[in-house]
Amino acid sequence: MSKNTLIRSSVSRRQFIKGASGGIVSLGLLGSSSLFANPDNVIRIGYVMPRSGPLSSFSQGDDFLLKQVHKQLANGLNINGVQYALEFFLGDTQSSTIRASQVASDLINGKNIDLMLTSSTPETVNPVADACEAAGVPCLSTTAPWESFYYGRGAKPGQPSPFKWTYHFCFGVADFAKLYIDQWSKVKTNNRVGMLLPNDADGNSIRHLLIPDLEKAGYTVIDAGPYEDGASDFSQQINLFKKENCEIFNTFPFPPDFPVFWRQAAQKGYAQRVKISQLAKAGLFPAELNSLGRLGYGLAAGAYWHKDFPFASGSTGLSSQQIASGFEKSTGKQWDQQVGATASLFDAAIEALIQSNAPKDKVALVMAITKLRTETAVGIIDFTKGPVPNCATTGLVGVQWVKAQQGPWEFALNIVSNADHPLVKVTNTMTPYRIGG
Amino acid sequence: MLDAIIQGLLLGGYYAMLAAGLSLLFGVAKFINLAHGDLAILGAYLVLFGVKVLGLSPWLSVLLSLPIMGILGWLLQKYLFTRTQAAGFLLPLLVTFGLGAVLQNGLYGVFGSDTRSLANYIGDLSWDSWQLTDQISVGKLPVITFACAILVLAGLQLMLSFTRLGRAIRATASDPEAAELNGINANAVHCSVSAIAVMVTGLAGAFLAMRAQITPYDGPVQLIFAFEAVVIGGIGSLWGTLIGGIVLGISQSLGATLISAQWFQLTGHLVFLAVLTARFYSAIAHQRGGWRMFLKQSYFSITGSLPSKVTKTKIKNG
Repeated sequence: MSKNTLIRSSVSRRQFIKGASGGIVSLGLLGSSSLFANPDNVIRIGYVMPRSGPLSSFSQGDDFLLKQVHKQLANGLNINGVQYALEFFLGDTQSSTIRASQVASDLINGKNIDLMLTSSTPETVNPVADACEAAGVPCLSTTAPWESFYYGRGAKPGQPSPFKWTYHFCFGVADFAKLYIDQWSKVKTNNRVGMLLPNDADGNSIRHLLIPDLEKAGYTVIDAGPYEDGASDFSQQINLFKKENCEIFNTFPFPPDFPVFWRQAAQKGYAQRVKISQLAKAGLFPAELNSLGRLGYGLAAGAYWHKDFPFASGSTGLSSQQIASGFEKSTGKQWDQQVGATASLFDAAIEALIQSNAPKDKVALVMAITKLRTETAVGIIDFTKGPVPNCATTGLVGVQWVKAQQGPWEFALNIVSNADHPLVKVTNTMTPYRIGG
Repeated sequence: MLDAIIQGLLLGGYYAMLAAGLSLLFGVAKFINLAHGDLAILGAYLVLFGVKVLGLSPWLSVLLSLPIMGILGWLLQKYLFTRTQAAGFLLPLLVTFGLGAVLQNGLYGVFGSDTRSLANYIGDLSWDSWQLTDQISVGKLPVITFACAILVLAGLQLMLSFTRLGRAIRATASDPEAAELNGINANAVHCSVSAIAVMVTGLAGAFLAMRAQITPYDGPVQLIFAFEAVVIGGIGSLWGTLIGGIVLGISQSLGATLISAQWFQLTGHLVFLAVLTARFYSAIAHQRGGWRMFLKQSYFSITGSLPSKVTKTKIKNG
């Protein structure tokens, strides 16, 4: 008797587990494509993001945007007379490069995806693109300087592109020079720039590519020399900038290092002398500014998307303003640049699927991406124009964080320079940095 | 140069406070808590919770977070560390490593990955300073942190020297079994030490959140600084920990000023390695009858090998 119940219970447990996992799978199929029983008419899209870990701020808008895309494409996508359903498979890199390539391989091999999308920092984009290149799956990505996508994965200047399957659109280092030269002309300074660049991939490429351009434009650049990420004392650099009387300050730090530097700069009286404090990499997200408090008013930065961009996002059916307000409503957080950039990735992907005429044919899809020219939330991207094969550029606008005139948020972001992105209108004039705004 | 020493000294105060908990726990309970940095971050988040969600003033929130961290330390020791320690040397390392991962991801789950700071709640204090000369100024917050570290360490030292609990802790640290024979409950002593250690660690975390930004994943870096301060200062000694923290802070800022900005962390690591090596060899020297004997032996072992090389070359030449 006891033996009997034992066996029975074990069988029922197995059945339960089987039933449960089977239920989940069929539920997924129901939700996305009950109308499209034919698997040939379901476009399977892998989407890899840092959904947890230190980089997860970049994926805050994903759920909101995917919901919009689902709403917009509820009836599927009509391509060349055939009705297709879309199914998204989300992968989480946990902010780790190793995990990113593993997740990408799982999606390629396990989910048999037709197109891979990924975004946010070279640490996410490069490993995912490498996995797709190796497996022959089309991959489209954004939000990582195109140089680190192209040269960082082994392409050589002047030689044909080694990549067949992977495509990327984003700003590059050259955009910074163009942006800064315009933005820094808006405030009268002595044209002496203090540069704080860490000893990491971004810091060193900026050191070699941006500084010469600035010097050519008439700026005197004082480079405080490389330092390791995570330093907790910056007296040496601050004393140097004070001694050299640098009225412009520019940095590309590991984001958590900036407040440590800037508070110390205020303690040592340097922040009180600076006229322009220009950040890149740090200061992308409102949360960083909120944690700086009064020291944050007046900091300048570059932005790859802003709620006042005049472009619309086809995949979500929203204007830039609507993306920002929709994001704020659904998450309870202030909008950030990445929401628009993620929307632009979906815009470009949907357009490429349509233009391929045969979205399930990987070669046709890649050919469509090479010829893609379309409007997205971040602006017009054009893969036929370069700067290098496999890459398209987008523009940067100069922005300045200021104290918000009215709530609910503490900071507002003004567009103060558009030399690198002329289609966007300037909203405010740039003001010199002053503690407390 | 003077400026670098002052900034390094003040930074050292923070390192000392951070390291005190690790040093105590290692000195008395004899295990290395790899979740130490994550406990500091947890303390910081607790204070942030008090400020942001409950609307308390930051300093009140710091005060209230201390007993909570203390209770947590007590419970951790009672239900986790004691049990794992029974299974040998390796298990506590693995368990605290796992605890660190749980804390990181737990904090991420509750608070999200947004970077946060207490600085904006303490107003201008986070960047106010006293101007000493035209070149030298000291930040008010680093000075407060340093003073607080001295107070905490002095308080702990007084407690260890003059109270009943302090005596029990010292007795348990040197020989738990002999202490038990004398009517001391070693387990309870370990629990109190863990409570104190976690409390001080939480306080250090709160100061970290005032001068920097924190995210749930910032613990491991703090663990490294704490560990280096403990090793430089001598394990289990509180004043040693203070000196270790200061040496670490000063060598970092001097390295950055005198050599290159890139040497900030590296100088700290090198000093740490140098002290570790010196300790290691002094232990060997002690076994061999003091430094003089040890050096003599080493000298002979080097000179003893020289003639053989000479003969080899002679053979080649011949």
